[in-house]
Amino acid sequence: MSEPVLKIRNLIKTYDNGVQALKGVSFDVKKGEFLVVIGLSGSGKSTLLRCINRLHDPTSGEILFAGKDSAKLQSAGEIRSLRKKMGMIFQHFNLIPRHTVLGNVLVGKLANTSTWKSFLGLFSAEDKAEAMKYLKLVGISEKAHIRADQLSGGQQQRVAIARALTQNPEILLADEPVASLDPATCHVVMDYLRKVNQELGITIICNLHFLSLVRIYATRVIALKGGELVYEGDPKNIDQAWFEKIYGDGAKEVHIN
Amino acid sequence: MKSNVIRRSILDAITVAVIGLVIISVIVDPTTEQLMDLKFNSFLFLGLLALGAFLSHVLNSMFGIKTMGQNLFEPDYEKAKAEAKPIYRTFWGWHFFITLIILFVVGLNKTQFSIVELLDEDGFAGAKRLFAGIFNPNWGVLPAAVLNIIETIFMAFLATMLAIPFAFVLSFMAAKNIMKGSIAFAIYMFIRTFLNVTRSVEALVWAIIFSVWVGIGPFAGMLALMIHSIASLTKQYSEMVETVYEGPIEGVQSCGANKLQTIWFAIVPQVILPYISFTVYRWDINVRMATIIGLVGGGGIGTMLIKYQGQAMWPEVGTIIVVIAAVVWIMDQASAYIREALK
Repeated sequence: MSEPVLKIRNLIKTYDNGVQALKGVSFDVKKGEFLVVIGLSGSGKSTLLRCINRLHDPTSGEILFAGKDSAKLQSAGEIRSLRKKMGMIFQHFNLIPRHTVLGNVLVGKLANTSTWKSFLGLFSAEDKAEAMKYLKLVGISEKAHIRADQLSGGQQQRVAIARALTQNPEILLADEPVASLDPATCHVVMDYLRKVNQELGITIICNLHFLSLVRIYATRVIALKGGELVYEGDPKNIDQAWFEKIYGDGAKEVHIN
Repeated sequence: MKSNVIRRSILDAITVAVIGLVIISVIVDPTTEQLMDLKFNSFLFLGLLALGAFLSHVLNSMFGIKTMGQNLFEPDYEKAKAEAKPIYRTFWGWHFFITLIILFVVGLNKTQFSIVELLDEDGFAGAKRLFAGIFNPNWGVLPAAVLNIIETIFMAFLATMLAIPFAFVLSFMAAKNIMKGSIAFAIYMFIRTFLNVTRSVEALVWAIIFSVWVGIGPFAGMLALMIHSIASLTKQYSEMVETVYEGPIEGVQSCGANKLQTIWFAIVPQVILPYISFTVYRWDINVRMATIIGLVGGGGIGTMLIKYQGQAMWPEVGTIIVVIAAVVWIMDQASAYIREALK
């Protein structure tokens, strides 16, 4: 835990339909931490992650990453090279269903491959070896030549992790990575994320629903409510009072074991 | 003004104008000269349109009586307010039925519909002669018919093949979810408009244009089918592109892929099967259209058909019809099986 790898200052995002998803959020992300973002649906968690890698354009504010304010990037090329340094995994995995597992993982190398070579599927031998290496890391290398839509949800999410790792990212963004998985698979995927965090030293910013998972995996937690930051600190310090403040009065905690 | 109100007024105005014109023609019984007076009749029509729009407004907004236009175009939440009545107790029901009956009567009149002609003895004898010929095909022309239908099939095939690359590229430019941003949207609108205009010109008309341009024959027919296929396929393809899942697109974009890579990796795999399916179906349609196009000088079996028909050589025409029917049926079945397998 040393210097911040990402600094977010007064980030505001207002959608075209007038919805204010983020109302001035500021926080730091330290190198190597496993930061979890919690909050209700619609609290702005997904928008926050998508602003960080510019899948969405922030309305105002600063996102300081790698010596640049990535909120200000305009050209498509600059945004692409920003995304290259950040892997992302999604609630619904977002793989290409008709491509093989290996083909999906190689998508992580698209930013380093010329357009025509990628169209013809001409990825270099090193790229393929690297893709296989990360498939092994998430324990799914034996499925490399199977179509991605043949896999179970948990397996697909592991492929998505391998795809993100193949980018060699500095930060891994995870948007509700286990929200569409069953409780048992949930822990498998979260364990792989922790492995990525601890063994490869990749900083992780992860949106989660379940507080029980947060207590197990997070090194630090921030909570969003209605687009504002309402809590920042150690996951173990979230007591009943905080819980009700974040999730609303009368909310009951559900445990996943 | 709300768009549903505009649509309501236009529909109601047109029904009133048409009914009004019919009533006026029945009362006045105009001469040919009067019918040909386009300027006066246009003013009359516009006047009736204005009257119709006014009536529609008065009935709906002041008396709360629903016209046909209101009933058709009103938003669902408006519909939910009114209690359901049987259709014969509604104003819009009578509005609809009376319009339909008047249109039907005008249709009978305009097409010179006549039971007498249909059962006329001389005419009937002619039809009998024709059927007698068609049902006794002259198999002597079979080899020529087969050669010609092969020409037709290849006209359709080449037209489809040449249309694919154009339609493939254009389909992404004609998809709203790809063309975001002001410049891109302008291109989108331009291509959409261009395609709509192209598609509204029938392949038959394109065949006439090209038969003057490159001369009568299969080449003209092929070009006509190609133009029509590009427009139709692009529309069908682009509708597929507009329904793709966003997930894979986000997934590929998040890896830093550029626009073309995103299309190739996230969208193309999602649309490729429907694309093939549409293309096979288009070939099937093109074979049928190629036959018709042959009638106006597009080459192939159609040209052969029109030649024998012009000379009233019905046994030869019978052979040609059998060949066309067989090929169309086979193509229809084959394309249905292929499309089924592609699902």
